[in-house]
Amino acid sequence: MNIPRRKVALACATAALAATALAGCGSDSETTSTGAKALEIVYWNYGPAAESGNKATADAFTKAHPDVKVTLTPVTGENWGTYYANVATLIASGKKPDLMVISGEGAQFVHSNKLVKPINEYLEKDAGAKAITDDIAQGLIDGFTVKGDVITLSYGWNDMVVYYNTDVFKKAGVEPPKADWTWDDFKATAKKLSADTNGDGTNDQYGFTWASNEIFPGIMPWVANAGGNLTSDDVCQATADSPQVNKAVTFLNDLIKEGVAPAPMPMSDVFTRFQNGQIAMFGAGRWPIATFLPAGFKSFDIQLYPKGDTYKTVFGGAGYPILKSSQNPDLAWEYQKFTVSDEIEKGYVGTPDKPGDSIPSRRSVAHTISQVGVPPANSDLYYDSIDKFETLVPYPAPAKYSTFESTVLRHLQQIFAGETTVPDGLKAMQGELTGIVTC
Amino acid sequence: MTTNTHPTTRPRGDGAAALAFLTPSILTFLVFVLAPTVGVLILSFFDWNLLSDGTFAGLDNFKRLFTDERLLGVYGSTTYMALVILAVNVVLGLLLAVLLETRMPRWIRAFFRLSFLFPFVVSASAVALIWRFLLNKDLGLVNYLLGLTGLDRIDWLGSSTWAPISVIMVNSWKTIGFSILVYIAGLQSIPKQLREAAIVDGAGAWTRFWRITFPLLSPTIFFLVVINTINSFQIFAEPRVLTQGGPGDSSRTIVEYLYDRAFGDFDLGYASAIGITFALVLVVLTAIQFWFSRRWTHYQ
Amino acid sequence: MTSRLTVGHVAARVLTFVILVVAAVAITAPFLWIFRGAFSGSDAELYRLPPTFHAENLTLDNFGKVTEQVPYFRFFLNSIIVSGTVTIAQLITCSTAAYAFARLRFRGKGVLFAVVIGSLMIPIQVTIVPLFLVMSKIGMTNSLWALIFPGIFSAFGIFLLRQHFMALPYELEEAAKIDGASRFHTFARIILPLSGPSIATLGILCFTYWWNDLLLPLVMISDTEKQTLPVGLVLLAGRFSTGSLGTIAAGIAMAIVPVLIVFIAAQRYIVQSIASSGLKL
Repeated sequence: MNIPRRKVALACATAALAATALAGCGSDSETTSTGAKALEIVYWNYGPAAESGNKATADAFTKAHPDVKVTLTPVTGENWGTYYANVATLIASGKKPDLMVISGEGAQFVHSNKLVKPINEYLEKDAGAKAITDDIAQGLIDGFTVKGDVITLSYGWNDMVVYYNTDVFKKAGVEPPKADWTWDDFKATAKKLSADTNGDGTNDQYGFTWASNEIFPGIMPWVANAGGNLTSDDVCQATADSPQVNKAVTFLNDLIKEGVAPAPMPMSDVFTRFQNGQIAMFGAGRWPIATFLPAGFKSFDIQLYPKGDTYKTVFGGAGYPILKSSQNPDLAWEYQKFTVSDEIEKGYVGTPDKPGDSIPSRRSVAHTISQVGVPPANSDLYYDSIDKFETLVPYPAPAKYSTFESTVLRHLQQIFAGETTVPDGLKAMQGELTGIVTC
Repeated sequence: MTTNTHPTTRPRGDGAAALAFLTPSILTFLVFVLAPTVGVLILSFFDWNLLSDGTFAGLDNFKRLFTDERLLGVYGSTTYMALVILAVNVVLGLLLAVLLETRMPRWIRAFFRLSFLFPFVVSASAVALIWRFLLNKDLGLVNYLLGLTGLDRIDWLGSSTWAPISVIMVNSWKTIGFSILVYIAGLQSIPKQLREAAIVDGAGAWTRFWRITFPLLSPTIFFLVVINTINSFQIFAEPRVLTQGGPGDSSRTIVEYLYDRAFGDFDLGYASAIGITFALVLVVLTAIQFWFSRRWTHYQ
Repeated sequence: MTSRLTVGHVAARVLTFVILVVAAVAITAPFLWIFRGAFSGSDAELYRLPPTFHAENLTLDNFGKVTEQVPYFRFFLNSIIVSGTVTIAQLITCSTAAYAFARLRFRGKGVLFAVVIGSLMIPIQVTIVPLFLVMSKIGMTNSLWALIFPGIFSAFGIFLLRQHFMALPYELEEAAKIDGASRFHTFARIILPLSGPSIATLGILCFTYWWNDLLLPLVMISDTEKQTLPVGLVLLAGRFSTGSLGTIAAGIAMAIVPVLIVFIAAQRYIVQSIASSGLKL
């Protein structure tokens, strides 16, 4: 519907203070979507790929639907969090886009703020929908389902896998890991890959590290494989001090204590150190290949995270949900469907020189990665990890995701710096999360 | 604020001229500074998350300040880092600026000035890139060099003792050139004749500094104390890119904290309330500085 | 006795230079790494310890990649327009306002000045949302005006110049006053020419600040075509930080150059002083 009246009042109060005749606060004079055949799409402009990708999708869509005018509104942001904030600012100022790109972590957020129109009825009504959803792993649909509402079809996603530097493995005479490796195998491997190359008494080459600035490529796979999660199944309660989480964090903390892992650093710092062999293994989604391959670095492969008490694949997707503000939801649904069409999905496969930075959601398309020859050798594992293995659903991503994540990271920082013990740190984390993870 | 005590024969009141001189500033101030500020004031009485309906919240946001367990700690780390940065910039900046006054070829002086200002001209991304490499605990250059001398690795960015020190170092590194530049402009304004006269009188460098340079530079020093206080209390980029405010809240600043409340929690009302109380703290600090300045600032 | 003095002098000068050189090295050394990165063909080499250097890895490719990945020259032009316009506008508004605060007598001066200084206290991070709403109401969002107008008023600049003007000898103005010169004349002909160093300083600081500002373009601008260089650097870094280190370093290096030019140009004015303008006190 229209902008809530209170918000208009706020905006007017602010603008009226502009003390000039410039501020016209009379009525909702937004005339963006006059015709029935117009769509406005908001996306996160995170780099050149985002813009060209969205342009290509929009162009292809208008080619198929020449009577529709598609407006792309790129929104800048340093990460998903600031992107959402900027979109929210746009909406607060009166814009009414039809679709916006969100990541899986944002599903609860958009749902609880009643921003999106669930697609359940389209999935039932639309004759072509079944063929599409059958080709999409169930986990990707479950991941975007909040309280029975399907938020969006996911066009692309990432799972968490272990990257390993094959040169470092060869040099150390260590066998490449197998899919059924365990935490013990993992630790033994990582130990063999850690070394003090300059003989100053401290290691300067490490077996493994994880990102300090994100939880998905950080602790989540370990928590999942210990059989735990950071929130309850309905994402209504925090479970950060459960025995499973304690086990996972203790395992990682021991890696640091034993000199097998360096003090954690942000993801971007890990990439380069992995390429030059200072770090033999790290965890991430498919995105590192977008850095590695163009740089000519190919001596790496991927493997599933090692098994703890269980194995569950940790993943996250992205999609174009239909916004409630849309004047033309049916057309928006057509667009959403179009974002998972063969034509568009192939773009996420990429080529060996210009690889995509996420995994196509459609199984049939994802399996062409190895046919096209985009490294690494184990690429089929990307889709298999969600199709053939158990997955961690739901995302531990409450509506206040960015507060949630920063709280978790803040306490982990203290634990990994040795300033508090694992149980104490997690207890403090849990205490704080209780107020953040609610329904 | 009329610190000027110089006798003058000027007739009272330049109202019309003042209005003309001030109009451009006043207009832009009203629209682009005052209006948003009043907006913040209004927001602080609302519960609003940008997306849904805002609701009037009375004083709730302000009451929350007293129950927020982290707020005091964040104020503590902000104050600690701000005061050290302030001292470094004002004192070390003055030292370097005065040393630059030494007789030397022009191009060498220009070279030094440029070097000192260099970090000021780069963006936060460059700062992050450089210093995260230098200060990384296990794979950073600084600890590597320390290791060569047999010292233990320091957890620059990860320990609650060192993280604020790293933020202080990097922020001072980035901003000291600014203070030096302002000092230079101030020093340039001191009539050379005064100092030359003092030399003729046989005053040593030390005496000349305290008797002539320092008093005449006092408006500049005062300016830098005020500005550096405000700037160093408002640090945002360095802790964010270096330490993410951690570990814990040991290197978190108020601005970072309220930014997270606004754009992480989408709690604009509370963020505004923090912003307003924070502004009041700065107003008081600055008022004290102005009050003190009457005693020691010397205007021509 | 004179010879002993000379020894002391020499020692003092040596010490002075030692301090200056140490400070200059400590401050600039980290940049060598950025510049090396900009010319480096191998990201992996950049993080190696001990630092290694292979001349055969030097390349200019990174600069090409920057222009390939983002519309660099467009961003560059936008940055020049924004920083340049803001700087010129600020120099005008700040110098006139500072003159009024430093030299004129009018009612409410103290209060007005307190308000000006007070406006420095609220961090931009909290006012950004209301500012966006104001800008969107007057239809300026998603245009370069949204980056220019909020920068024109500068309490900092007014304060800086006011301090400087207050330190200027009154006698100079008195003379003009007796000659019957108008206020504006006094300001333009006497005060401004004496203020080269401060105005140049404000110019440098203002230009650099707006050159590097990331928050406003991030919030106000959605069209890539209207973005500025700092956003370009964010785009180069990419989602999940997939950008190449060498390319980012090249982008940073390319963004520094114009500021250096401004600095070197303004440098001439900083060296001017009252003494060199030949005034007698």
